[in-house]
Amino acid sequence: MSAAAAAAPAVPRERPRLRAALQHAAFALALLAAWEIGSRLLGSALLLPPPGAVLAAMAELTASGELVVALGQSLLLLVLGLAAALVVGFVFGVLIGRSRIAYWTLSPYFSALFVIPTVALVPLVLVWFGFGMGGRVIIVLLAGLVPVLLSVAAGVRDAPGELVEVARSFGLRGELRLLIQVRLRAAVPLLMSGMRLAVGRAVVGMAVAESYLRLGGIGGLIRNYGSSFQTEYVFAAILPLTLLGIGLSALVGLVERRFQRWQT
Amino acid sequence: MSAAPVRRIARIVARPTLWLPLLSLLVFLAVWEAVGRSVDPLLFAPPSRMAGELPELLSSGELAAATGVTLQALVVGYLLAAVSGVLLGIAIGQWDTLGRLLGPYLFGLFSTPRVVLVPLVILWFGIGYGGRLFLVFLWSMIAIATTTADGIRNARPDLVEVARSYGAGRAQTILHVLLPGSIPFVLSGLRIGAERAVVGVVIGEMFLEITGLGGLLQDSAQSLETARMLWAVVVIAVIGTVLITGLDALERRLSSWKAEPT
Amino acid sequence: MRDPEPAAPKIRVDGVAKFFEKGGGGDAGQVRALDGVDLDIAPGEFLTVIGPSGCGKTTLLRIIASLTDPDAGRVLVDGKAVDSPSPERAMVFQSFGLFPWKTVLDNVRFPLRVRKAPLSEATETAMEFLGKVGLADFAHSHPHQLSGGMQQRVGLARALATDPDILLMDEPFGAIDAQTRELMQEELMRLWQGSGKTVVFVTHDLDEAVLLADRVLLLSRSPGTVRALIPVDLPRPRWDYDVRALPGFTDIRARLWSMLRDDLVFAESHGPGPATAGAR
Repeated sequence: MSAAAAAAPAVPRERPRLRAALQHAAFALALLAAWEIGSRLLGSALLLPPPGAVLAAMAELTASGELVVALGQSLLLLVLGLAAALVVGFVFGVLIGRSRIAYWTLSPYFSALFVIPTVALVPLVLVWFGFGMGGRVIIVLLAGLVPVLLSVAAGVRDAPGELVEVARSFGLRGELRLLIQVRLRAAVPLLMSGMRLAVGRAVVGMAVAESYLRLGGIGGLIRNYGSSFQTEYVFAAILPLTLLGIGLSALVGLVERRFQRWQT
Repeated sequence: MSAAPVRRIARIVARPTLWLPLLSLLVFLAVWEAVGRSVDPLLFAPPSRMAGELPELLSSGELAAATGVTLQALVVGYLLAAVSGVLLGIAIGQWDTLGRLLGPYLFGLFSTPRVVLVPLVILWFGIGYGGRLFLVFLWSMIAIATTTADGIRNARPDLVEVARSYGAGRAQTILHVLLPGSIPFVLSGLRIGAERAVVGVVIGEMFLEITGLGGLLQDSAQSLETARMLWAVVVIAVIGTVLITGLDALERRLSSWKAEPT
Repeated sequence: MRDPEPAAPKIRVDGVAKFFEKGGGGDAGQVRALDGVDLDIAPGEFLTVIGPSGCGKTTLLRIIASLTDPDAGRVLVDGKAVDSPSPERAMVFQSFGLFPWKTVLDNVRFPLRVRKAPLSEATETAMEFLGKVGLADFAHSHPHQLSGGMQQRVGLARALATDPDILLMDEPFGAIDAQTRELMQEELMRLWQGSGKTVVFVTHDLDEAVLLADRVLLLSRSPGTVRALIPVDLPRPRWDYDVRALPGFTDIRARLWSMLRDDLVFAESHGPGPATAGAR
């Protein structure tokens, strides 16, 4: 009975899902058609290359290895920058979250950092730290830092007192162990939402750093093709970056849901 | 007679929430000054150098002119985004299918860093005012539209029914029920949109037309005049802070009826 | 006794039925909320509707208001079938249904503005009705600043502001504390008496049903059908004396209770309805 009841609603629910998928497919096709027609009407591959040309450009960039190399460089920069943001964000987040003095002395700087667009920091950072990998990693770090820091600070501050009490009663001693084993664990959902924000901002930081320098990575690739007015290549390089951004945020969302299931 | 205010001021000054940040700022500036001077005063522009640069930036009118250019594009683009974002949000929120179909594309556009679209913006809108306006407008508009649509979708069905029972049409229902009920959502959209708009205006000024505060920053970077760069960054930060603080205040005012839901 | 079926009814409910899809139940499928309800309501009549929970009282009211479409049958007002909501059939809601972001005055003005009445005229009318419910001083307050009873008075003023022929009231005093409720009942009777308005008033409170009504409609347990229509022939106005002490009052109340009790007892032992019972 209960199996039948559980199976029953699946049948009527399947049909709307199929319909939605068809709608999406139809809409995507319509967009592609509009793109094709638009580019023919414009008659300018410079302004709007047809979808076929973009696809061909994408195939060419992939075959030549250019796209793969650029994506690899971008990902390396992203991973290094995010790792740095995590480390710095954790250290300062714990400090600010656990100490009033640290909060009042340090937090104004991070608030200011959050308000300033990352692009505006790029020239400064590059002038100060050089145009190499180091400067670029610092840009990604600055872009992703504040969301990590704020979520860590909020997490370790709001850890439920009763959990801390329970841990103490089981003989868990030492502020550091308490911090790692109880406070940070309890703060995981918050940390994940901070991570999601940080990843989005880090991708922007990565693109900005690469575009500004016009060398290396997807950002550099796009700017180079842009300045030589090869629009189909610009499109062909933007699409993977968009997918990268969506994919990363989906990945963090997946991990987030994973943790949520453990939590409750 | 004058003792009480003095004591009050003394108490305020004695508050750690005031003197701790101040002390921290002093230490920060001192360290910066010391390090900057000993390494490379030109490159690191210690506070003394920044202060020295200010009179000229002000008296030449350069900073004011740049701020004016930036604010003009920011305000026009943002206002356009607010109006069209709310309208698009209503449409998306009202017609579910539209929202479902458009959603992925808006999200894709929203998660693409704007800098990489600069080549396309240049081709389509030119490097002038139009291109800059577009960079301010579109992303801000998407943020406002998506949150407004959320608000419309989350409207209280009982109140929609009240409007219907009195014979209100679609337009009247939107005007009297859906929009006012979405105000908290619209405001959070306006906030996110403001952040996006500030980023957009700076990108436009650094990558399209070298003008405004972004242009000042970019020009000074070319000539390695760090002190001027820093002043541009400071003014950008102030604009962002003022905009966001203002929207926060507006939010508190407009949602006074929410004081205690019954 | 009043003639139970006058020549020209104000509202005629003609074979109305309503089904709901029951989620999650494999073979339960549909729940019949109302089935074959026939009913005539005379002009100026005060009809109260009572029945066990889940009998479709509110559904019947919503169908009369055209907020829900019947699956069978129709509703006629003045001999014409209705299919869309109208301020002629003004609704008063259990949850008050006030717009929290509008002032009291704006809330009452709302139906008038919907009908494109000029602002000054709408304001004048709204203030007049706010005066009638004793809330003129609160015109510029927001709903959250008022008590539940005051909020429902605003709801009442709003419903009356368009001078409707018919008032549809869905357990309007259900969310109001007992003492305030008695005041509200008296106030409603004062407003209605001599107004010529037809009222359909859904309630789950037996005393209230008898106190207010010209006739009490008792609906049966799911599916809702007309179980009984009981005239209440007590002298009006009923706020001048203690109606509840009259033998007539207690007789009708007892009759209603004995009928209602059977259904309630059945519901208690078998679950709220056949569909839910089957799904277990």
